[in-house]
Amino acid sequence: MTTYIIRRLLYTIPIVLGVLLLTFVLFTVVGGDVSIEIAGKNATPETIEEIREEYGLNKPLFLSWDSQFINHFKSALTFDFGRARDRELVVDKIKRGVWPSLALTVPMFFGVLIISVSLALVVAFVRGSAWDVFAVVVCVAGMSIPYLSFILLGQYFFAYKLGLFPIFFSPDLSMAEYVALPVLIGIVTGLGANVRFYRTVMLDEIRSDYVRTAFAKGLDARRVLFKHVLKNAMIPIITRVVLAIPFLFLGSLLLERFFGIPGLGYLMIEAIGSRDYFVINAMTYISAILFVIFNVITDICYGLVDPRISFD
Amino acid sequence: MIKRRLTNSEQPKGRSLWQDGLKRLGRRKLAMVCFAVIVLYFLLAGFIYFAELIDWQVGPIRWQEEVGGAYEGPSSQNKFGTDIFGQSVLRKTLYGAKISITVALCASFISIVIGVPLGTIAGYYRGVVDEIIVWVYSTLSSIPYILLILAFAVVLRDKTLFGFKLTGITSVYLAIGLTSWVGLCRLIRGEVIKHKEREYVLAAKSYGCSGARIIFRHLLPNVFHLIIIDFSLRFVAFIHAEVILSFLGLGEATRPSWGVMINDARIELSRGVWWQMVAATAAIFFISLALNIFGDALRDAIDPRLRKAA
Amino acid sequence: MSENSLALSIQGLGVSFFTEDGIARAVQDVSFSVKKGETFALVGESGCGKSVTALSIMRLIPQPPGKIVSGDIVFDNRSLLELSEKRMRGIRGNKIAMIFQEPMTSLNPVYTVGNQIVEAIRLHQKKSENQAWADAVDMLRKVGISEPEQRVNEYPHQMSGGMRQRVMIAMAVSCQPQLLIADEPTTALDVTIQAQILDLLDDLQKQNGMSILLITHDLAIVAERADNVAVMYASRIVEIAESKQLFQEPLHPYTKGLLKSLPRLGLGREVKRLQTISGTVPDPLHFPAGCKFHPRCSVGCSDKRCQGIEPELREVGNGRHVACWYAQGYETEEEIKEYESKYGKK
Repeated sequence: MTTYIIRRLLYTIPIVLGVLLLTFVLFTVVGGDVSIEIAGKNATPETIEEIREEYGLNKPLFLSWDSQFINHFKSALTFDFGRARDRELVVDKIKRGVWPSLALTVPMFFGVLIISVSLALVVAFVRGSAWDVFAVVVCVAGMSIPYLSFILLGQYFFAYKLGLFPIFFSPDLSMAEYVALPVLIGIVTGLGANVRFYRTVMLDEIRSDYVRTAFAKGLDARRVLFKHVLKNAMIPIITRVVLAIPFLFLGSLLLERFFGIPGLGYLMIEAIGSRDYFVINAMTYISAILFVIFNVITDICYGLVDPRISFD
Repeated sequence: MIKRRLTNSEQPKGRSLWQDGLKRLGRRKLAMVCFAVIVLYFLLAGFIYFAELIDWQVGPIRWQEEVGGAYEGPSSQNKFGTDIFGQSVLRKTLYGAKISITVALCASFISIVIGVPLGTIAGYYRGVVDEIIVWVYSTLSSIPYILLILAFAVVLRDKTLFGFKLTGITSVYLAIGLTSWVGLCRLIRGEVIKHKEREYVLAAKSYGCSGARIIFRHLLPNVFHLIIIDFSLRFVAFIHAEVILSFLGLGEATRPSWGVMINDARIELSRGVWWQMVAATAAIFFISLALNIFGDALRDAIDPRLRKAA
Repeated sequence: MSENSLALSIQGLGVSFFTEDGIARAVQDVSFSVKKGETFALVGESGCGKSVTALSIMRLIPQPPGKIVSGDIVFDNRSLLELSEKRMRGIRGNKIAMIFQEPMTSLNPVYTVGNQIVEAIRLHQKKSENQAWADAVDMLRKVGISEPEQRVNEYPHQMSGGMRQRVMIAMAVSCQPQLLIADEPTTALDVTIQAQILDLLDDLQKQNGMSILLITHDLAIVAERADNVAVMYASRIVEIAESKQLFQEPLHPYTKGLLKSLPRLGLGREVKRLQTISGTVPDPLHFPAGCKFHPRCSVGCSDKRCQGIEPELREVGNGRHVACWYAQGYETEEEIKEYESKYGKK
């Protein structure tokens, strides 16, 4: 199995290189020379030149050992992402933003997972009945309402009107307090698509031949569902769940923006507003690495759960 | 002795998978209602586009006109009320349809134009070409979708590419289109690889069909239904992406879009002004719902794998 | 025939599927009986309704869109259709067991073979975990799997097709059922393995005295293994007879056609082409009027009665049944007269 892991990890190298190339092309080549923006409106040509020197923007793009691309590459490997527009180290900003983001996404993740798998099981159990149809209708309707509106309405009703939750983040609030409403909203919005997905997975398994055999042995519906169907359904479910983990670190862009939570999502939004390429670049690179690593972990989990997969 | 061949009119009319599927789809009333809704939105968008082109000053075009005081509630005169500038919310909502549909269509077009050829080439020719294409889309797909779109949108905004200055909307649909072709490409590639080994392709090869001919005549018609299904399911995602981008200020700032309206609503709600929010949400909701239901029905009707054997 | 010698009796069974394309009457007015200890074959082409009949006995028809619309199924002097679901579960896998066509997909891929057999044992018998596992190993040995102690911990994908089918059989007979329904048990297997599996079923039958309802489209198997045969066509039974009699003297045109189409070696130069029955099996959503076979029948395709009135299944002497206006001994005197007055002499 170790050879498998090593092989998979080796495969990730070209991907990471690809990401670095992509971010470079995007932010440096297409994005262009940001020195003018950094310098500000009334900068003199000398200041601009200084900035270019400092950021290494006066070096050739590709064709030298000291080219911008090589430097981009080097700094990525050392996780040295430079400074944001406000001169703070990007790495520090990220370190600060991780915890509030996790405080938001982790409860959301577990909430959505437990509730949607349970709901999907229930719905698969009563498949074809009016409850099933109702569930599907609710899911589809939920998926059709724009995420933005959900958040806005949730914030308006439960925080502003009913005063049950604080509207905005403020440093004197405890984590539980300022995270409660966003997490609730996040869970509700996430249920729609997830319940539908898990329901489809369950129904696919229920239609299998081995389910027919299980019933022919005399098993009751509950046991067939929980023992036979669930274990097989676990395979695609685990894949989806493990792959979702890297996204936990990114925080939720919109929720953080609406509620003013100072996490990584908020950081991104700010960076977009101020066109801070360094921050965006750093976030993109980190999330790609996380994603790629968790892909490998997913494959391994998949192999552990499905006895048909062997690692050679 | 050669028996007489049946003439065209005598041959029994077979039903292709398509006709079968579409017939089945037509029978489902809900799907047809949704289709009507979709057509309605498209017609509206097309109408506004056309009207702008010839400068025909109908209602929605004149969204900038002051029709009342600021923040007037819905009345018989202004059915959806007015916004902070006294502009008609109804007109803005209708105009927003044009923006969303246009963006989604352009993005879909870009996605298909990139994804389908790349997927087909990768799947059919395999080898180095395949490795490269897979590398490209693996790279793109390792960055979270929203992040990727945002990154593209931020960078492309106000840039001049090949002599064209990118206006707000253009950067939006470029951003969406350039990042969303991956799913389709993967799908097509997978199907082409599967079909490549099927007997009918081997048969075609054996009587001398060239690669291009095999692709166009044999393979593409068999994956066409996947393209249609993918298109209908992605369209919703594109509309939502446009709304989010506009909300964040990355889209067209000078013209009304549902995302911008929702952004305005953030402040408005605290003042008790709810009509812009409701209008934009409702507009998005109905087209999304229609697309979701229709897309599902389409997939159920056309995808042969889902049909149970007799 | 006393009721005690019957393992299973199906009377007038009707099963329909209510789909969005219309009502498909998959099984209509099906009646036959299986004696204790015998092998009864239900023969027919794909889509004729034989699998649906089998699943109905187990009450495993998916309830929407399917439904048992008429008839009764009597097993062990009880009507199966009137039993509560709970009691029916007590019968499934226990008194009546079923094996299916595709052993790969019919076994759960994520559990070991032993686990699945033990599940069946512990469900219906009061045995401890250890006892059940010992039984499972025993069953594997009985069905001819070598090294059962190792095999019992293997997964289905680690076994060959023939072995998997043996596992299915082991699972099915683990509780010594009175009736085993075998739905195309050998269709997915190689010819050499087919014979082994059928021999195995024969042996188990002799050991346990169980009845076997063998569902197949393969007439060769029927000739070798079945005691009695029922031929199904387009949702109906068209002929029932003892196996030997069926092959020597088929009464229904469909049966005759089937037998003629069997390739046979050693006939020399007389037979040049394989005989086929022209036409195709009708779509269950659009059955022809009258006798369902008449469009393809060499005798009755232009007969007005065959086109208009469906012949019911009738006994024509010493246990034989047939449903055909042209079968020997089928029509009553009045019917012959009526026909001749309407249409003239045949």
